Amino acid sequence: MTELSSAPLETIEPIVSARGLRKSFGRKEILHGLDFDIPAGRIYGLIGHNGAGKTTTLNAMLGLTNCEGTIRVLGEDPFARRAKLMENVAFISDVASLPRFLRVRELFALLTNIHPNFSQEKARSFLEGTDIKPEMKIKHLSKGMIAQLHLAVVMAIDAKLLVLDEPTLGLDITYRKRFYRRLLEDYMTEERTLLITTHQVDEIEFMLSDIMFIRDGELILHMQMETVNDKFTQLVVNDPEQQAAARQHGPVYEETRFGQTVMIFDGVERDLLEPYGKLSTPTLSDLFVALMQRPTANPETAQ
Amino acid sequence: MDDFHTSQPIFVQIRQRLTEMILRGAVGEGEALPSVRQIAADLSVNPLTVTKAFEALVDVGVVEKRRGLGMFVKTGARAELLAHERDKFLKEDWPRIAAQIKALDLDLQTLLSSSTATKGAEK
Repeated sequence: MTELSSAPLETIEPIVSARGLRKSFGRKEILHGLDFDIPAGRIYGLIGHNGAGKTTTLNAMLGLTNCEGTIRVLGEDPFARRAKLMENVAFISDVASLPRFLRVRELFALLTNIHPNFSQEKARSFLEGTDIKPEMKIKHLSKGMIAQLHLAVVMAIDAKLLVLDEPTLGLDITYRKRFYRRLLEDYMTEERTLLITTHQVDEIEFMLSDIMFIRDGELILHMQMETVNDKFTQLVVNDPEQQAAARQHGPVYEETRFGQTVMIFDGVERDLLEPYGKLSTPTLSDLFVALMQRPTANPETAQ
Repeated sequence: MDDFHTSQPIFVQIRQRLTEMILRGAVGEGEALPSVRQIAADLSVNPLTVTKAFEALVDVGVVEKRRGLGMFVKTGARAELLAHERDKFLKEDWPRIAAQIKALDLDLQTLLSSSTATKGAEK
């Protein structure tokens, strides 16, 4: 990307870097050795089933759990240097809760005291145009309002890395749209990195610059969205003869819905597939379903 | 309009929309185009994708970046874009359409009278 090549030197270093990241709970290994780098200025989607290891991976980045292998966030070991790191990392957990007994302004005052990079002024400005008023008690806010407040709080922290674990869970579509709009409008810059996990992946897929698919504690896909578009093709083909012909090109996934057959191909030239039917780029959720059902993540042994 | 799932990459579609804005005169020559941030938020797309669309227009020479101010439509951009789009249409779209006209055995008379008829219907 040309934007990155002109970036100042210090931002070239990845924001997060993991090597051989493993985690076990008792005898059960949850993460089987993840390797990845997340550069600055990007919006990452971490996608996987419940229990695949998403939250454990996030917790490792945030220093909330001790893992085997190496993980560095902004060059630091998050488990050893958690307090220092939290100056530059903000986080909304999927089980996020704000102190319910406080008023909004009291929460802001508390944060001003405990967080060096929290700006009360910014937080208040982010609440303008919402129904949330400084005098309101948190316990009287609706679920959507709490999410708005939480986002206002984390966006008011001048962080380099923002981690959102299922941030829009349980919110209606209007709130979800507003939530992401806010992030793009007021938070995202070339120096900042955003990492999002969500089950509503189609809602954010065009926001993402990169995706990571995690399955049973393994990273089965880590790719720039642009590459995903080049590499994967979806073909809708109805005629049985054409289907048989298309099948020769080795689809990684095939499904018949309403008498229509949908195939997904990995790394097959579009020119070759064009004659058989209608081509498109699979949605992230279709791709996710396709790759989750592959017997193995390794294409060589998949067939 | 939020449906980007066609055969074209999103940045191409955004570039196309910016092109249309300039051709329609919605943003005049010398005027500022919407910011990357604005477009990204409006369409819920990644800012890098929007930047790429702008860069494509900078490469054609119809848009310029003014440091700290944003993207501006260059003088003469409309004429240039029109020439560029016409050229593109004749090279990329017309052969396909012409082939279709031939396959359907349509003559010029029918085509012209049908296009004036739809025009009338639109009014």
